[in-house]
Amino acid sequence: MPQVKIIAKNFMDMVASLPAIKLDILYHNQFICEAILRSMPPLAKKYVLQMLYIDVPMTFKSLQEWVLADGSSKHQVAIDRLIQLRVLEVIDRKKETTYKLKPTFQTNLRKHLIYGGILSREPMPSNVVARLPTLEELDAYAHEQWECFLLQLISSGQAERSSSFSSSMMRIFQRGLLRQRDKEAPRLTESGFQFLLMDTNAQLWYIIREYISNSEEQGVDQADLIAFLLELSFHTTGEAYNLNTLADDQEAMIKDLADLGLVKLQQGRRERWFIPTKLATNLSVSLTDSSSRKQGFVVVETNFRMYAYSSSKLHCEILRLFSRVEYQLPNLIVGAITKESLYNAFENGITAEQIITFLQQNAHPRVAEKLPSVPENVTDQIRLWETDLNRVEMTPAHFYDEFSSRDIFESASDFARVHGGLLWEDAKKMQMAVKAEIHMLMREHLRGNK
Amino acid sequence: MASAPSKLYADDVSLVVVLLDTNPFFWSSSSLSFLQFLSHVLSFLNSILTLNQLNQVVVIATGYNSCDYIFDSSLDLKRSLENGRMPVMCSSLLQKLEEFSFKDEQLSKEEPEGRIKCSLLSGSLSMALCYIQRVFRSGALHPHPRILCLQGSPDGPEQYVAIMNAIFSAQRSVVPIDSCYMGAQNSAFLQQASYITGGVHHKPQNLDGLFQYLMTIFAADLHSRSFLHLPKPVGVDFRASCFCHKNTIDMGYICSVCLSIFCKHHKKCSTCGSVFGQAQSEAASASDKKRKTPET
Repeated sequence: MPQVKIIAKNFMDMVASLPAIKLDILYHNQFICEAILRSMPPLAKKYVLQMLYIDVPMTFKSLQEWVLADGSSKHQVAIDRLIQLRVLEVIDRKKETTYKLKPTFQTNLRKHLIYGGILSREPMPSNVVARLPTLEELDAYAHEQWECFLLQLISSGQAERSSSFSSSMMRIFQRGLLRQRDKEAPRLTESGFQFLLMDTNAQLWYIIREYISNSEEQGVDQADLIAFLLELSFHTTGEAYNLNTLADDQEAMIKDLADLGLVKLQQGRRERWFIPTKLATNLSVSLTDSSSRKQGFVVVETNFRMYAYSSSKLHCEILRLFSRVEYQLPNLIVGAITKESLYNAFENGITAEQIITFLQQNAHPRVAEKLPSVPENVTDQIRLWETDLNRVEMTPAHFYDEFSSRDIFESASDFARVHGGLLWEDAKKMQMAVKAEIHMLMREHLRGNK
Repeated sequence: MASAPSKLYADDVSLVVVLLDTNPFFWSSSSLSFLQFLSHVLSFLNSILTLNQLNQVVVIATGYNSCDYIFDSSLDLKRSLENGRMPVMCSSLLQKLEEFSFKDEQLSKEEPEGRIKCSLLSGSLSMALCYIQRVFRSGALHPHPRILCLQGSPDGPEQYVAIMNAIFSAQRSVVPIDSCYMGAQNSAFLQQASYITGGVHHKPQNLDGLFQYLMTIFAADLHSRSFLHLPKPVGVDFRASCFCHKNTIDMGYICSVCLSIFCKHHKKCSTCGSVFGQAQSEAASASDKKRKTPET
């Protein structure tokens, strides 16, 4: 799903677009260096490690010697990414360009690898903190919050309770995902559907990106928020951290993060604290475009029936996008993939590849072991139904008939061909079809010929 | 012998099982002290864990008489090893290493003299492969495993059979065995292991820069290896050891049923029990390679 990867990576593009001074300040934090390292493509990570202790600038040619011939495109992607994030500094000399790791990044990563880093924020001692939720309770809380938020995002009526996001914030999130015409309920746009089919971490990054770009307009420093978020992923799940260790704008952000399910807020008699959930600590996993590694719930049979072992409303809504849901039991959703339901999905802008990738990535563990996890006849049929819609292609054209002589016909068809507008011709009957754009030119040409 | 077929890896999540040579006979005479060596290795382990949140590292110590697990990064689940990883890892690893060395030394009180001072590589390879099999059975979402052998002791010919069995089972499960040899001579076992399983073998020229060698060559995950220039095998030593005396030989007798190798003529194969016929005349021409004894 190439388009999804672009959306998920946009957070890193946002980081890369920060001004150089701010990026430099970010690189003073060891944990941010680690997060940025993890977000790079695998080849780029390798290059950083290799150049970590090389103090001399390296030429482009010597970098190229590291990689084999068929990896040269990946090599270029990696180098470009490193330059974008300003991790690699380009020194232009007269003869050739050389590359060197940015000194701040280099020293801090070295320190991090040799000595390890400890967060400046310490978890609170257990005698002050009242009952902490268990890891399972925390997971359930995070899951619930996130689902509630998503349901509210796509259709305000369905959520059981609304989050405390102001309606203007919700509108900002919905911008690009929903489209509202007058007197109609808001409908999901094409990117809205694609958003729903993404995996959780990618969706999270999208929401966070919108949140951060919006906060810039309200005067909060983007770099601070980005630093805080990247650091958050290194906290320990389930431990309590005191709220008074946060700056003011970080405290405002924490409340919004609690609504998304990233942290849980609690308070005791005198102190208030936040507990990071698994959603927060797993954030850095999804910064790269690696395949998602979570447990699936969908079984697709060769007779096009689909069984989804889930009780979540969100999953039901997502499955309704492209299949016909027949029964909904307490822990099971039964549906069928039919031609009508797929045509419906295609009309809404979802592609067959997205549906197939969604089914494959969310395959139930029982079928995930088998290859292929989704039966081939189902995937082939989905693709065939998609190409059905693309069978006919329309181009506005003009039809020319009744040429008086063969010479005029041939000069006209040459003229059309030269201008790239000839769609069809029949030499025997002396008829041709020409694109509408050059119709006026054709008329003048024919008049000129007479 | 063809090298292992390569698999297509989707992402760069890796599980690295490091086999650490703790043979006191080698380290007492090596130019690099064990302490310096450990500092290189600990930083290398930390870098593996830094590369990806889902990476895992397991360390198995290869001692003189025994082998044991020293460190497993997936065990400490609650703390998840993100915050303050280095101090925790170092302290637990060093403590376990000390206990292990003590136990290993106890076992060598009753040792016959004249044995080559090699470490128990076959034991640790087998332990590593068992751990990896367990990972394979844990479901579809497992990291891609590989084995890294940090060895300095010479090869012990008596371990030939066990090591070859381990190498073939690694080849079968498509687990590459990388090896970094720090001793004086060459290690035939490690060269063969890396060649057969599709891993990388390297003998660093300058042991002071071991960290840089580890980072450049051995930190590459399996996905990126198909695009990177890594040291290629040059002249692998394929000599075998005989099954009866464990001597290294390059000409000998082979049982045609089970392919066991013997240096002298025997009446019966010790592995499969098949009876051999009369040996052919001892006057062999120089162009004769390995002679097969006929089986009745």
